[in-house]
Amino acid sequence: MRSLDRLFEDSSRSLAQRTSRRSVLAALGRMLMGAALLPLLPIDRSSRAEAAEPGTAGAGTASAGAASKTPDKPAPDSPESCEYWKYCAIDGFLCSCCGGSSHSCPPGTTPSPITWIGTCHNPADGRDYIVSYNDCCGKTSCGNCYCNRNEREKPMYRLSRNNDVNWCMANADSNYHCSVSVILGVAEQ
Amino acid sequence: MRTAMFCAALLCVFGGSVSSAVPPPPPPPPLSPEHLTVEALPPSNPHWVYVVDEAFYNETDARVDLFDGDSYRRLGQIDAGFTPGVNLSPDGKTTVVATTYFSRGGHGTRTDVVEFTDNTTLALTGEIVLPPKRDNTLPTYFNLAYSADSHFLYVSYVTPASSFGVLDPAKKTVLGEIDTAGCVLVIPSGPNRVSSLCESGRLLTVTLDADGHEASRAMSEPFFDADVDPVFVQGVPTNDGYAFLSFLGEVHEVDFSGPQPVLRKPWSIVTAAEKGHWRPGGETVAALHRRLGRMYVPMHRGGEGTHKDGGSEIWVLDMKTHERLARWPVPAGKLAPVNAIQVSQDDAPIVFAATEKSDVAVFDALTGRLKHIERRLGQSPWFFLNP
Repeated sequence: MRSLDRLFEDSSRSLAQRTSRRSVLAALGRMLMGAALLPLLPIDRSSRAEAAEPGTAGAGTASAGAASKTPDKPAPDSPESCEYWKYCAIDGFLCSCCGGSSHSCPPGTTPSPITWIGTCHNPADGRDYIVSYNDCCGKTSCGNCYCNRNEREKPMYRLSRNNDVNWCMANADSNYHCSVSVILGVAEQ
Repeated sequence: MRTAMFCAALLCVFGGSVSSAVPPPPPPPPLSPEHLTVEALPPSNPHWVYVVDEAFYNETDARVDLFDGDSYRRLGQIDAGFTPGVNLSPDGKTTVVATTYFSRGGHGTRTDVVEFTDNTTLALTGEIVLPPKRDNTLPTYFNLAYSADSHFLYVSYVTPASSFGVLDPAKKTVLGEIDTAGCVLVIPSGPNRVSSLCESGRLLTVTLDADGHEASRAMSEPFFDADVDPVFVQGVPTNDGYAFLSFLGEVHEVDFSGPQPVLRKPWSIVTAAEKGHWRPGGETVAALHRRLGRMYVPMHRGGEGTHKDGGSEIWVLDMKTHERLARWPVPAGKLAPVNAIQVSQDDAPIVFAATEKSDVAVFDALTGRLKHIERRLGQSPWFFLNP
């Protein structure tokens, strides 16, 4: 799979050298509009997945921000819980707590057509899934169920793995409201 | 006789009480009428810090609080809109905020703009309207940055194609836009150079001509591997450039003083036994006292995916010897983990440490003594600026 990664990287760089930014964006937009329906990049990161060390503070916990934890903590298998398996690299307000669900935007908002991609492990069936983290846009911050998890998340120079940017950036109304995690498919072993 | 004694006793009782009664004091003179004024800022001192509050729960309402690390008072505020980039001019006299406003508050037409604030009055003095391309991300030194001579101002664009704008801060105009081929952010050096971080682990450096247009560009050798050990984008200003910490605690110092960046040999803030177990993390991962050569790093115990967790300790490192000078435990009963840090640059330095509960602690930077805790200094105080 690393060779596939490399192939994709090389082809992307080649494309970037041959194509104008505007046309790339137009194509990207058309392609990513279907992000909720079609698997985009069959990227397997599971071989590099590391279990968090026992007693560590990071993976699986909500952190940062005032009042980040709700007093009545939902069960870990609830889509309203930051510990829900699909949220392994989400950073923002859970749309499940804002009128949407783990894979749908709240009424009156607009999904971001561009997104970042992660691989999360579902303990219920033992499979790794490729998920697309889309933002829901066009209203101000939901402000409920803040969740920040960063498994295999990368800094901004690897944009497709970064959860620090506002993925509503290319929407007509680019304000950020909340985030979802949409299953794209099973990660190939 | 008995009657006379009774009368004397009565006189004693009533007469005595009358004679001992003190008349109530006259009320104080009424308060003078007040005149509504605007407070003037006192002269600045090295312990002032500009606290960039992302206000994540009301993200269109970010702000910059000016906080005095001696009096522990908030001195004033600069509005910062939505996911701002913030920086100071090289002379410290101006705060620049690159931000986004929506015409109907939470929605509507997007306007990207750079706003200039006079730091002696905290009044707005001007603006430059940008194309709607500004990066919407967490604040670092590299979202918006001045050239060393203040002639140019650079602003990072991500649409998600990456580029940067070149602005003229004196004439308040946009001079142009330069494509960065997937590399991100604006790391300024000298009067006319801008470097950006690339996924390949290289630095792209664009040199500008006198009009702010691209004169040349060059790529450095790779200095990190984004797959193995990525560097945080929150660079720390050093005497001749910036230091970039990696997720595993490597320090990559880059000398930006010459025509092209010079990559120094990396060194580690953790021992071999600690590597992978103790990590830097948070929103601002380190601060450096440049004259003392001491770096302050919030550290936590954690594994992969914990790179935004706050520190349970602050480690003090010597930039010359690479020795760890101290480990300051963050008192767990008093403070949440530290996720942003800054140090004043004077001879009696203090460390500002923001926590995951939005408190800001002030430490003596030489001894680690906790001097003060300012509770809830905003919602999301994730970045500190000081001259």
